[in-house]
Amino acid sequence: MSTARRAGLRLAPAWILIVASFAAAVGAQVWRDRQTPPPAPIERVLYLPDGGVVERLALSFDAILADVYWVRTVLHFGGVRRGDGPKRYELLQPLLDITTTLDPLFTVAYRYGAIFLAEPPPGGPGRPDDAIALLEKGLEASPGRWRYLQDIGFVKYWWKRDYEGAARAFKQASDVEGAPWWLSSMAAVTLAEGGDRRASRRLWLSLLENTEDDWLKQDAVRRLRQLDALDQIDQLEEIVAQYLATSPPTPYTWEDLIAAGALRAIPRDPDGVPYYLGPYTGRVDLGDESRLQPLPVEPLEARPMPST
Amino acid sequence: MKAAVETADLTKDFTVGFWRPRPFRALDRLTLDVPAGEVFGLLGPNGAGKTTTLKLLMQLVYPSSGSARLLGRPVGDIDARRRIGYLPENPYFYDYLTADELLGYFARLFGHRGPGCAKRVGDALDQVGIGSERRLQLRKFSKGMLQRVGLAQALLNDPELVVLDEPMSGLDPIGRHEVRALILRLRDEGRTVLFSSHILSDAETLCRRVAILAGGRLVAGGRLSDLTELRIRGWEVVVGDVDEAAVRRFETVATRIDAIAERRFTLELPLGHPPERVLGDLLALGGHLLSVQPLRETLEDYFVEHVRAATGSRFAGRDRPAVNADSSTSGRKVG
Amino acid sequence: MGTIGLIAVNAFRESVRDKVLYNLVFFATLLIVASYLVGQLTAGQEAKIIKDLGLAAASLFGLLIAVFIGIGLVSKEVERRSVYSVLTKPMSRTQFLLGKYAGLALTLVVNLTVMTIAIYGVLAWMEWSSPANIKAAWEAPALDPALLKAILLIAMELLLVVAVALLFSTFSSPLLAASLTLGLYIVGHFNADLRNLEAVVDAPVLAAVAKGVYYALPNLAPFDVKAQVVHAQPVTLTYVTLTSLYAVGYIGALLALASVIFGRRDFK
Repeated sequence: MSTARRAGLRLAPAWILIVASFAAAVGAQVWRDRQTPPPAPIERVLYLPDGGVVERLALSFDAILADVYWVRTVLHFGGVRRGDGPKRYELLQPLLDITTTLDPLFTVAYRYGAIFLAEPPPGGPGRPDDAIALLEKGLEASPGRWRYLQDIGFVKYWWKRDYEGAARAFKQASDVEGAPWWLSSMAAVTLAEGGDRRASRRLWLSLLENTEDDWLKQDAVRRLRQLDALDQIDQLEEIVAQYLATSPPTPYTWEDLIAAGALRAIPRDPDGVPYYLGPYTGRVDLGDESRLQPLPVEPLEARPMPST
Repeated sequence: MKAAVETADLTKDFTVGFWRPRPFRALDRLTLDVPAGEVFGLLGPNGAGKTTTLKLLMQLVYPSSGSARLLGRPVGDIDARRRIGYLPENPYFYDYLTADELLGYFARLFGHRGPGCAKRVGDALDQVGIGSERRLQLRKFSKGMLQRVGLAQALLNDPELVVLDEPMSGLDPIGRHEVRALILRLRDEGRTVLFSSHILSDAETLCRRVAILAGGRLVAGGRLSDLTELRIRGWEVVVGDVDEAAVRRFETVATRIDAIAERRFTLELPLGHPPERVLGDLLALGGHLLSVQPLRETLEDYFVEHVRAATGSRFAGRDRPAVNADSSTSGRKVG
Repeated sequence: MGTIGLIAVNAFRESVRDKVLYNLVFFATLLIVASYLVGQLTAGQEAKIIKDLGLAAASLFGLLIAVFIGIGLVSKEVERRSVYSVLTKPMSRTQFLLGKYAGLALTLVVNLTVMTIAIYGVLAWMEWSSPANIKAAWEAPALDPALLKAILLIAMELLLVVAVALLFSTFSSPLLAASLTLGLYIVGHFNADLRNLEAVVDAPVLAAVAKGVYYALPNLAPFDVKAQVVHAQPVTLTYVTLTSLYAVGYIGALLALASVIFGRRDFK
């Protein structure tokens, strides 16, 4: 046997010991993990609770840390929305607070963050006041950013139905130097026709045409489709009301209406998802799988009366 | 003849101790001259102040009082340094460089450039016996080889004055022999060599003059021949072709008898017993005389006698034992 | 090349042989990997994140190099006693110190230059491969020359840190020098708070002392214009010039002090 091989064999007990010790360690861990539940998912831990503290500790690395917290925000929001667990967005506001404290100029965090916060359940926490507070924080850091005021206007209009407040915000935005001309007309429209579906459509169209941000564009498109869906639902309810006047048998289905000649095909929403027909109530609504859910709730007095 | 190195009352105090700092006198009023063109030995036991002296001369350490001059210029003069070569004790160099690169760097620091520079480096390495290893990184060098590199860098600039701190340390006997030969060669070339050592036999073979330090003080110095011609303390006789029994008869007179081979002995005879008397008896017994020589007091004997007397406490405020009156030379010029 | 130049080149060679520049490989890998991942996670903010990451990493790696090599410049040499054979060559101690400083400065500049090229390389790829609608939402163009202002100030800050490290290295051990330098870096970033202490605290003496400390200790926060540059906020040439002048002046003072301390030191 060569010297080298002999030396190798002499080391064999050492190797066995290494492998055995490691296997024992891993085995112990597996056993323990079966006994104790895993710790709370990393999601739930903010690491540091307060934006101010984080900023102090970040020294000159606050911008990259802001990015890290932004990524966590996006993951948290998307993860809860698409996940199976309860739809709780508790970390959303603190994460956004830390992100914007670390980088007060992080425009996207303010604008998208406001949209995340205002979105009603189950798509979001439904906290328009938090959204407005976030945008106001952005304004403190960048007083010249009329877009934040425009966004505040939208939140007040769309989610809080505070038409006077929205108009004030739009007006403030239009007063900022460099703001575009159509903001003052937005203010006027809001004041005059606040809550009216046509006014809303005008506002969203205006946003769609005047923003370069892809994501915000898509959000506006979605809102417009929701408004379209509302129009379509109104029309369908008229048709269904006429059908119901003939006292058809329950359960009501779209096929019955087609057979009765009231419709040519199963009605679908602007996304292509079939509408829902209440089999015993005749109520028309978005299909369960529709991505336009939830539809905005309109104040009763603003709903256009179905034409009779 | 102008002195290559002169010191005048050169003194260095250090502060020792953290909680209760006390001044410690590493060198006490050293005054000496090193004449140009000679080999001068700075001797003494460990801790005597030899390295401190050399560091003061190279301005690695600043004096507490006193002064020194090298090649006629005050210590620290940059022009003078161009003509001086220095080897520190236990040298350590940038270990990521090769010997070639290190010497090339130093040569350029001396102001040499271009192909002449490379030749200089090559010659210096040849002189100290470093061959193809010069292309290896210094971290792979043994202590002895590092010592040689150290010598090479001390000779790089063709110096008038070569200052070597323990040049023999770390060398095997062959290496020591080569360094001794090198130092003699430097002397023959007209350079001044100042080296420190605690090995006396090296000084005996090389130096014309020495200074002996102990306890931070100069306890003796001068020409080697002056210091050691002093006393014959006995004789050494080597005889052959005698039996041990016969030799044993001289036990009462000889201070020492050694058998060095079969029927061959060395006898040491004290001063009072001249060898002639012993020889007659030995020859009568049928022995042959192989050699007779006087035993001189060696530098070591001189050294031991003076150093032991001088070493005492060097902390301020404690009594120093009195130095032997006729050999005390502190404060007196040696040259 | 003068003595200072020779020492500088030698110090640079030492850091190259110490494989310091391998950090650049890590840096480039980091940027490239990040640029792949970043698109998925950030809702259209790829350019911003690459810029943030690139600048932050350049700053951090540069800081580590500045501290850990800076302290070794002098204290390691003194500890290992390689300084004995160098200082006894025809040079003054000041020339030795300045040469060491210049060598490390050169290392940092080379490092930063390569990092700048890497950042712009990744940004160019991003510019070329992103669709127009995504690019429209970026606050600043991908290949924004304003990034160079941020990098210049990062360089000045690092040169200041090296000078601090060099100063500590002239009289303390490597470990202590590293701790003190890092400590001063951290303090330097909080320094700005001291300036306005009088607004927060009632005792005028304390506020005056704080203000004095603010001016005495290095104030490093103003060198950080990364966020402004990434968000296309203006950073004036005046600002860059004045901040750089502050650095130059402070560095001069530090090097002079280091020269005095080192110049009188005994090497036992």
